[in-house]
Amino acid sequence: MMKQLLAATSLLALSLTPSLAAAETINMWVRTGVGDAFKNVVAAYNAGHEDKVELTEVPFSELVQKYATSIAGGQAPDALSMDLIYTPAFAAAGQLEDLTDWAKSLPYFNALSPSHVRLGTYDDKIYGLPLSVETSVFAWNKDLYRKAGLDPEKAPANWDEITANAEKIRALGDDTYGFYFSGGGCGGCMIFTFTPLVWGAGADILSADGKTATLDTPEMRKAVDIYRNMVKKDLVPAGAASDNGTNFLSFTNGKIGQQSLGAFAIGTLVTEHPTIDFGVTLIPGVNGSPSSFAGGDNVVVTKGTTKLEPVKAFIQYIYSEEGQKIMAKYGSLPTRGDIADQVLKGLDPRMEVGMKAIAVAKTPYTLQFNDLINSANGPWATFLNAAIFSDDIEGAFSSAQSEMQSIIDSGQ
Amino acid sequence: MTVVATLSRQPGRPRSRSSAWRGLLYIAPAMALVILFFVVPVIVTAWMSLHAWPLMGAQRWIGISNYVRMIHDARFLSALRFTGLYTVVATIAIFAVAFPLALFVEKQRRFVGAYRTVIFLPVVVGLATASLLWVWLANVDSGFIGPLLKELGLVERSPNLLASFDAAFLTIIVMVVWKIAGFTMIILLTGLQAIPSDIVEAARIDGAKRWQRFRYLTLPLMRRTIALALIISVTGSILAFDQFYIMTAGGPQNRMISVVYYIFNQSFVSFNLGYGASLSIVLLAILVAISIVQLWLLKVGDDKA
Repeated sequence: MMKQLLAATSLLALSLTPSLAAAETINMWVRTGVGDAFKNVVAAYNAGHEDKVELTEVPFSELVQKYATSIAGGQAPDALSMDLIYTPAFAAAGQLEDLTDWAKSLPYFNALSPSHVRLGTYDDKIYGLPLSVETSVFAWNKDLYRKAGLDPEKAPANWDEITANAEKIRALGDDTYGFYFSGGGCGGCMIFTFTPLVWGAGADILSADGKTATLDTPEMRKAVDIYRNMVKKDLVPAGAASDNGTNFLSFTNGKIGQQSLGAFAIGTLVTEHPTIDFGVTLIPGVNGSPSSFAGGDNVVVTKGTTKLEPVKAFIQYIYSEEGQKIMAKYGSLPTRGDIADQVLKGLDPRMEVGMKAIAVAKTPYTLQFNDLINSANGPWATFLNAAIFSDDIEGAFSSAQSEMQSIIDSGQ
Repeated sequence: MTVVATLSRQPGRPRSRSSAWRGLLYIAPAMALVILFFVVPVIVTAWMSLHAWPLMGAQRWIGISNYVRMIHDARFLSALRFTGLYTVVATIAIFAVAFPLALFVEKQRRFVGAYRTVIFLPVVVGLATASLLWVWLANVDSGFIGPLLKELGLVERSPNLLASFDAAFLTIIVMVVWKIAGFTMIILLTGLQAIPSDIVEAARIDGAKRWQRFRYLTLPLMRRTIALALIISVTGSILAFDQFYIMTAGGPQNRMISVVYYIFNQSFVSFNLGYGASLSIVLLAILVAISIVQLWLLKVGDDKA
């Protein structure tokens, strides 16, 4: 009985394989929390092409380990949209398909977002290409500004103004708050929205070569103080202390006066929460000069996939003007510099602030990003929760500084 | 059961070769499962623990370096401490609730079936599901506990239960007791019901008070049952992971990282499968040791006591 069943299923599998070749189905993964741009471009592609893309959403905090384990278990997707900072680590481990020749043959190769291509390159070979681009920006709710008697068109230029505005907004009522951030172990959220405070002032959390942790700087202490002060003054919802990123888009509920967000969130706000009237500006540093985190995703192809050609066709669709327009509408900045103006034309003008941020933006380069920054139990996430919400600031600084350094050293 | 035990204990009873083979045949399916799903994985884990074994890339033999490393691993030691604390508190809390419940539902009274069902119901909820449910219950704004306290006027504003160690720890203990106590209760109940009523009757006629009957009759006769419940509870607590991962993500400030959570982090966040494997082997050794000590303390297997 068992044998017959086995024989029948393998026959069935054999007879199915050739028919699949006509219209391929590509398995792709995307992380959550990057807005709807990719989902929509996939939907548009599936509607107009014979090949289909089957999309699986994976929680952003677990994508790396899920992908790594699926490679080890032989169950990996054909391609995935990967946070660009992880591309070097996976390329170094030899798990990605080399795309160099094909990428360089694209007529617009030189116009692709340079920082994405830089992070997608390992040992002079290209393993990752830009898929989506976003920068972190500061958003304020114009309705709440009006109600609090503030000028809704005037963007705050420094953190004193932001704090003062937050106090006025908080005074509006019980469940209206002046500011929000995901402070409960969401290292990814905080590197994105909080480090611009120190970057703008010229400091950084890692040395330029990535080999020394430089957490304990006067700029960082100032930045921590700004957030601590707002928490102490009760300008931030109590839930922020334990939000591990699930409520990162709290701004969309209309009761948060100000929050640092990403360009993806602008797309989500514009398309899904059209009632929220908001303004966007660059995130001020602790001394006023702004900065931003240039992030987004690279598309990478799992080594040895049989669907390489269909994946390439899909990537080329994303790079077409049509594909770029759909991505931009849902908040991903154009990845092709040569047609950026055409793509952004007619779209929400606030997207241009996200584009402007690229000029002042940074992207950290380290093979240990997950361990150091993104892991909910890593030193960065732990440090911010302790420094902002606990009473032991000194302890928070010293233990995070030494733990970061020991992780860096053990990885050398 | 007793018959088999008596038979096998008769010394020098000749046993035919064919019946021995038949016996082996009977246990073969169970043995195959145990070997396939326990023995082989343990051997593979032990083998991995002697390597630097990244999740991606090539492994390298490093002998016992992984075991040397954990002696100085402060994060592992603090995970051990936390797991110990959690195990003691959770086990005591579960027994403190389950024992009275078992005594309560043992007696035949009206609706006893309904009581048993209601108390047992949370057990059939998966631990991950229960954790998610409690994440919502404990949510500061849209949850239940905090806003309820506020509505009742007990607190001025809804507290964020998962933001401080003490409150989050208490929340998790309450969740685990709610979830597990019914199971422990059922185990204890079977022990209670196995006590012959004529002995209790005799003790009562001899003038033993309620407490005396409990202390000198019920407890000793339930020794085996208590041992079983205790080992299940202690083992479960030492292996706790879901509730910390889901409810607090190991926070606040990493103070709720259990040993299994640390093994998970080492293996699948830092990709050190080899180190994770060596931690697993040590955890297995600790579990075996603790179980032996418990059995010895409760003198299970010693029929004369």
